[in-house]
Amino acid sequence: MTACTRCETALEDGDLRCVICAFPVPATARPSDGKPRAQVLRCGDCGAAVAFSAEAKAPRCGFCGQAMAIEQPVDPIETAQLRLPFSVDRDAAEAAARGWLARRGWFAPKALSSEAVLESLTPLSWAAWLVNAEALVTWAADSDAGANRSAWAPHAGQVSLRFHNIVVPASRGLREAEARLLIPYYELGRAVGIDRPLGAGEVASTVESFDAQRSAARRYVQDAIEATAKVRIEPQIPGRRYRNVHVACLLERQTTDRIVLPAWVLAYRYRGNPYRAIVHGQRPEVVFGKSPIDWGKVGKLVAVVALIAAAVALIVLLAPRQRPPADQEPLRDAVIVDGD
Amino acid sequence: MAGSSVDVATPAVTFACGHCGASLGFAGVRTETCPYCASPNFVERPPGANQPRPELVVAFTGDAAGARRKLDLWLGTRTWFADSRIKRARIEDLRGVYVPAYLYSAVAHTDYTASIGEHYTELETYETTDAQGNKKTETRSVTRTEYRSLAGHHVGYVTDVIVSASAGLANAELQAVEPYDLLQLRRYSPAVVAGWIAEEFSRAPDDCRRVSRAEAVDEVGLRLRRFMPGDSHSDLSWRTTVAWESLDPILVPVWVLAVRYRDDRSPLRVVINGQTGAIAGKVPLAWWKVTLGIVVAAAVIAAVIFAISQHGGQPG
Repeated sequence: MTACTRCETALEDGDLRCVICAFPVPATARPSDGKPRAQVLRCGDCGAAVAFSAEAKAPRCGFCGQAMAIEQPVDPIETAQLRLPFSVDRDAAEAAARGWLARRGWFAPKALSSEAVLESLTPLSWAAWLVNAEALVTWAADSDAGANRSAWAPHAGQVSLRFHNIVVPASRGLREAEARLLIPYYELGRAVGIDRPLGAGEVASTVESFDAQRSAARRYVQDAIEATAKVRIEPQIPGRRYRNVHVACLLERQTTDRIVLPAWVLAYRYRGNPYRAIVHGQRPEVVFGKSPIDWGKVGKLVAVVALIAAAVALIVLLAPRQRPPADQEPLRDAVIVDGD
Repeated sequence: MAGSSVDVATPAVTFACGHCGASLGFAGVRTETCPYCASPNFVERPPGANQPRPELVVAFTGDAAGARRKLDLWLGTRTWFADSRIKRARIEDLRGVYVPAYLYSAVAHTDYTASIGEHYTELETYETTDAQGNKKTETRSVTRTEYRSLAGHHVGYVTDVIVSASAGLANAELQAVEPYDLLQLRRYSPAVVAGWIAEEFSRAPDDCRRVSRAEAVDEVGLRLRRFMPGDSHSDLSWRTTVAWESLDPILVPVWVLAVRYRDDRSPLRVVINGQTGAIAGKVPLAWWKVTLGIVVAAAVIAAVIFAISQHGGQPG
């Protein structure tokens, strides 16, 4: 494996430019030249690519159930090195999903939990990069240290930091916002090699392909590390209170591992319409997704609010007006009286 | 990285435009006029020596018919004051050209100073006069700004700076249709540009490097403005040192509509990003249409004023 001459980030198959600093990779340094290219089974609706299982003969997307199309990418397909095992089994996932459906709040249809048809509850291992990097972080912020007339004074500084196991979503089946909700709850220390056989009772899952280009990850890596750096540099800011924290990072020596992370994807229908929810593969209490809204209830609420507003307006309009005290009678009236 | 003299991609036929100076290679296509300026002064000449070989290429997406539809839509959104001869331009006048450019990136270290404004509020007393003419003193809360100086350092990679190396298409024109989605970059191979017009690299790498650096420093300035703390800032000045520069020859796709609509005028040129469809150009106005429009508008206004004055003069 070669490294970028500018930032020493490890270069990998198919990199035209360094994923961190965009330094071009000479053609001769590309180890993938001449390798055969893979075909990807791609969902025509949500964009997800899922490893095709010949046994399952499943022509539908595991994330959203739509038909799939074949695509031939230019770059070679990456494969996962690590996987995080499921610790939530099917029964626990279904119970968590049912519980979530029952707690959808006042605006959800009353019959949601009883009438929702669970179409599928699929164990999916979604793709992510595990990023390790070093960075020179420059920062600027306001703090109360050295404050004068204003409660704030500007400060700036720089520090070198190491970042370990920053999880960057590489999934095209999960939306970025969904992945961000799942990531904080994974115990990455329990990751095992992708080739390790499943243990007894361990959940077998569909493994998502790494079909997103590593170069596409640059913005996500930069954003993820800057978000982490903002928290990590807080001890560097003088004073007790601070605000307006800005960081700029110069990443170096990044290494990337590919990991697949466990999640249960629930596809359900309510009165003919499809919805999706995600159950965390290690923490069953972490469930989120979309659910139907009872627009009749929304309409009733709007009507009640409108009625209350109308009643208040009526009360205000019909309330008897208090006459001002005699000594504050308008001068014009007094003149008219004098004139009579 | 740049500057390799190996030129595997040199096409068999190279033409030079006697009007705008562009040198263009044709692989599998023929043209009798310059695609940049529609000049017929277009002569065959030997390929340029020591041409840098493109390292990377952004490929065209879509065909000329699709580009023409975008052009028609764009022209439709322009004013009807546009010269009609533009709209009559034939689809053959729209040429797809792989424009030579340099892709620049660098590490930028910047030292900056700025005056940071921090807001604070204080009570202010002021005198007011009531309806009876009596003066009285009142207080109000006002927001003021305290300025504090700040000096610091800022680091970052500046990437994806593209500078035109074309004699026919100025950098400003290329910038007008940027950005390109560089995630779709491909390694250059002659097969990618086969069937398209590809211009030779006409500008010296050192010139392009200078322009790229200036763009990189401008980019750092934009980042610094977002980086500043406080409620406001002023007097921001910075000194940027770039290191680890890379300057790679690339080809980017552009559709060019060059129309010589009048002999006494420069050719109209509309440029379309061959990947994203972004369009830039300046549509010449037909002055007889502008004059007619002004006369009609003046007549309408005069008629309205006359009608109002006549109506106002009648007894109610």
